[in-house]
Amino acid sequence: MTATENTEPESPEVDPGVPFTLNGVELHANEGELLISAAERHGVHIPHFCYHPRMTPVGMCRMCLVEVDGGRGPSLQPSCMLPVTPNMIVNTESEPTTKAQDGVLELLLINHPLDCPVCDKGGECPLQDNAYAFGPGESRFVEEKRHYEKPIPISDLVYLDRERCILCDRCTRFADEVAGDPLIHFIDRGSQTQVNTFPEHEFSSYFSGNTVQICPVGALTAQPYRFAARPWDLSETESTSMVDSTGARVALHSSQNRLVRIQGVDSEATNWGWLSDKERFIYEATDSPDRITEPLVRDGSGEPVRTRWNSAIKKAVEALTTASDPRRIGVIGGARLTLESQYAWAKLLKGLGAIDNIDAQLGDGLPADVVMGLPKATIASACAPGGVVVLLGADPKEELPTLYLRLRHAVQSDGVSLIEMSPRQTSFGASVAARLNPLPGSAGQIASALADGMVGTSIGGISSGELTTAHELLTSDRPVTIIVGRGNLAESADVVVSAIAALRRLVPNATFLTALRRGNIHGALEMGLTPGYLPGGRPLGTALAGWEMAPPSAGLDAEGILRAAAQGSLDTLVLLGADPLRDFPDHTLAAAAFERVGTVISIDSFLTASTDRADVILPAAMFGEVDGTFMNLEGRISPVQAKVTSPGQAWPDWMIAAEFAQAAGGDLGFGTLAEVRADISASVPAFADVDWETEGASSDGSVVETGGSIELSLTETAPIPPADDYGLRLVVDRKLWDNGTMISSSASLGDLVDDAVLTLAPADLERLGGQSGQEAQVSIAGGDSHPIVVKADGRIRPGVAHIPFGVNGVQAQELLTAGEPVVDVRVQV
Amino acid sequence: MGYFEGFGVTLKKWGEGVTTKEYRGGRTNRKGEISSKDQKAPKPERVHGRHVLNKYEDGMEKCIGCELCAGVCPANCIYVRGKDNPVDDPKSPGERFGYVYEINYLRCIHCDMCVEACPTEAITESKLFEFSFTNRSDAIYTKDELLVDDKGMPQHLPWEDWRPGEDQHTSGWMRATAPSGKASYLGTGWSGELGYGVREGDLPQDEKDASVRDHVTVDEHDDHGDHH
Repeated sequence: MTATENTEPESPEVDPGVPFTLNGVELHANEGELLISAAERHGVHIPHFCYHPRMTPVGMCRMCLVEVDGGRGPSLQPSCMLPVTPNMIVNTESEPTTKAQDGVLELLLINHPLDCPVCDKGGECPLQDNAYAFGPGESRFVEEKRHYEKPIPISDLVYLDRERCILCDRCTRFADEVAGDPLIHFIDRGSQTQVNTFPEHEFSSYFSGNTVQICPVGALTAQPYRFAARPWDLSETESTSMVDSTGARVALHSSQNRLVRIQGVDSEATNWGWLSDKERFIYEATDSPDRITEPLVRDGSGEPVRTRWNSAIKKAVEALTTASDPRRIGVIGGARLTLESQYAWAKLLKGLGAIDNIDAQLGDGLPADVVMGLPKATIASACAPGGVVVLLGADPKEELPTLYLRLRHAVQSDGVSLIEMSPRQTSFGASVAARLNPLPGSAGQIASALADGMVGTSIGGISSGELTTAHELLTSDRPVTIIVGRGNLAESADVVVSAIAALRRLVPNATFLTALRRGNIHGALEMGLTPGYLPGGRPLGTALAGWEMAPPSAGLDAEGILRAAAQGSLDTLVLLGADPLRDFPDHTLAAAAFERVGTVISIDSFLTASTDRADVILPAAMFGEVDGTFMNLEGRISPVQAKVTSPGQAWPDWMIAAEFAQAAGGDLGFGTLAEVRADISASVPAFADVDWETEGASSDGSVVETGGSIELSLTETAPIPPADDYGLRLVVDRKLWDNGTMISSSASLGDLVDDAVLTLAPADLERLGGQSGQEAQVSIAGGDSHPIVVKADGRIRPGVAHIPFGVNGVQAQELLTAGEPVVDVRVQV
Repeated sequence: MGYFEGFGVTLKKWGEGVTTKEYRGGRTNRKGEISSKDQKAPKPERVHGRHVLNKYEDGMEKCIGCELCAGVCPANCIYVRGKDNPVDDPKSPGERFGYVYEINYLRCIHCDMCVEACPTEAITESKLFEFSFTNRSDAIYTKDELLVDDKGMPQHLPWEDWRPGEDQHTSGWMRATAPSGKASYLGTGWSGELGYGVREGDLPQDEKDASVRDHVTVDEHDDHGDHH
């Protein structure tokens, strides 16, 4: 703007961006925007194969060549590699452009087989589409095409057909750049160039399924979907994944009323289009033979007998109403349910039944007031460029893989500094800024030292240098997000809480992501499936219409419920999609509880170890079969949609709750999903303005202010028992592939579960006189010893023994004791 | 009263015997143009009848389970599911085979679009339309019923009226998937009648090029001809 024009007072004018001409129309691009995306934004589609908006452009495929005049005359340039520059003149329809497109497609089709009828991509294939839209229609190539062995499995889930590959570098870029598992790459040269794995190493990435989704041809196909359906007979619904608490947006694809595929949907707020293989392939569980399809009641002989819904419900309600005292009833589970079902069950149990022994967490989470009361961050705010992230929990790659991809991108590309306070080194590897892996039990002590600025000397084996770096990062003016979770099931949650307290003292403005892994756990706590709270994080005793029967004092948590059962003071145990016998981190306690408890009522979709012990088993519809709402770890709510009908007589959980109420002579006040939602909006202030019908309009959902007005007063002094001289301190954490109900019930995923291995620091193994790979005995004080393979691992700090939870072989929950601050084990080689 | 007239029809027909026991010939027969009573009327050469699923000479099924027939079917009467070919006992050449193949003849309108869509000549139609069934499960032909026998001939199901020699007269197959939609391009427009793989193989390349030069005429619209 010249001075003469600038006569009017300054107005906050929006920068129109970079001016350029596209096919004769004058437009504006954002600063630094690539030509291909600027054109797309203005409605001009430039064909491409290798360009992907979430990955670095490489210009491999040459399909996006367009005629560009940057001031030195027109020339063909790849629009995916070219940021728009001022006054650039672009023509995507000129003769040279179409000739280039013809040429590129003819070249790509020289070796691409025309086996579209048998190819899984046929019908939704970018190469097919572009060949039709932009191709020459015929080929001059008459020679024999290149041949490779037809599909080779590059992992248990992904098949590679190299004949079809057009070398666009998307899968290899994804594996290296996004997932951080560079296990596939180009090999050989010239016309023999091919994608392949390294010898002896399969493409065993947790994210391998994404390569299938982004492959622009049928070179990569997913084993579970192989030949299951054709794209044109798929019907699609957008939903939210309930596999973990990230809440990734997904598209459910069904054919003939069967779920056959899940694809990632690009949600700016959560998953950016990526999914873990667990989220992607878990749909197989809906078809599992282990599904419960009819109500079952155990008869006198102990066999479950098929029965009708009303007699099963009558029996269940009898067990609940004949208990002498509501305090003799316990309810475990509920994280699998939708928000609406959670509310219905909370209202049934608390509002009508005066029961408060309810816990949706199975002793593997954090106290409900901490989860609800901490000031919440969003994934986007945690990953915003220039921030500092403290990881006070498990390796997110194992527990919340899509969150891991976001964090990894933030750390690798956006200058976010990561302070690692996990009990062992995580998958972020060398990219962490400060590594503070505390000995189990001492996280609070380390955090207090940081808060007090006592970083001059090493504390608990963590060097002064690392402490100083962490302290500098936390006291800089960069925004701090703290990701909290249970990184170690062998350590009491109090340790994490005391570390949170200390970090809040140091960084009062820090925001938090509560990285609990169970699907809708945040919704469960918010809806009141936790002792001591009514929906919306309001304490018991708050006046709430329809909840008049709610008990005055807080009940027991999962551990307390199981302890009461083991002591014989529990008449009825209700399991809402929970399997404490396999899932609770203290098997001895869970087994003792099931031994002595009276009636067990299980509402579940699958037959599990715990339903084998249940007296009444009611079939519940699962993910993919129910409509509802999901709340993720940010408090973001987004819709869950039904795609297929539930098998047999399975019902949505909220409907079962309503039937229970009716059988007990009460009324929950709703009979349709819309009425449940209206009830939630009426009773929970945070949901008062939620427009349930339009929540699904955006893939991002919307964040709800949660936690009500919980005043957190966290204590920093967790007891730190002295480390045992000859023992090792136990770290037990989850892996992505475990023997969870859903994974065991999925045909392709069940085999991916590893055998249990005890890993420890190389120095510790040497001190014990053992060698990597040999069998050893592990035991707790006064417990049985279990044989287990030991391995040295440099990522484990000295003094620690690590065992994964819920995998094959030694069951870590047999080594754990609920309530103990830490667990010391003895390893003998 | 109309009410009793209805019963009247029943009473009048009482004792006349069953009249629909056997096929009595078509319209031409009724006009008396054909002397024998139980004879089918001649059909046009390209009439569309009951489908068959063909095999190659070595016994392999031609169907690869691609579902293109099901996709193109305007009556939604075809149900196909593909599956990985068992490595030790492949059902068809290649990696995929038709695991389930069903045609519901209560819905089929014999438009032959499935035949046109088929990339492997697996499905063609015979000229048989004289078949009727008394229940729904008979009406849904499964893959076992549709597959030709070891001699390449259609199976004769109990409720179908096959006459000697009829299974020889079946419709052919036209290549609808030639490049640019020009049937002449490969020089093999029509296959023979149904059965084994009797379609002439593609011509040798030089002959094919020659045939292309002969067949691709200038008056045909060709968007990209100028590139060659």
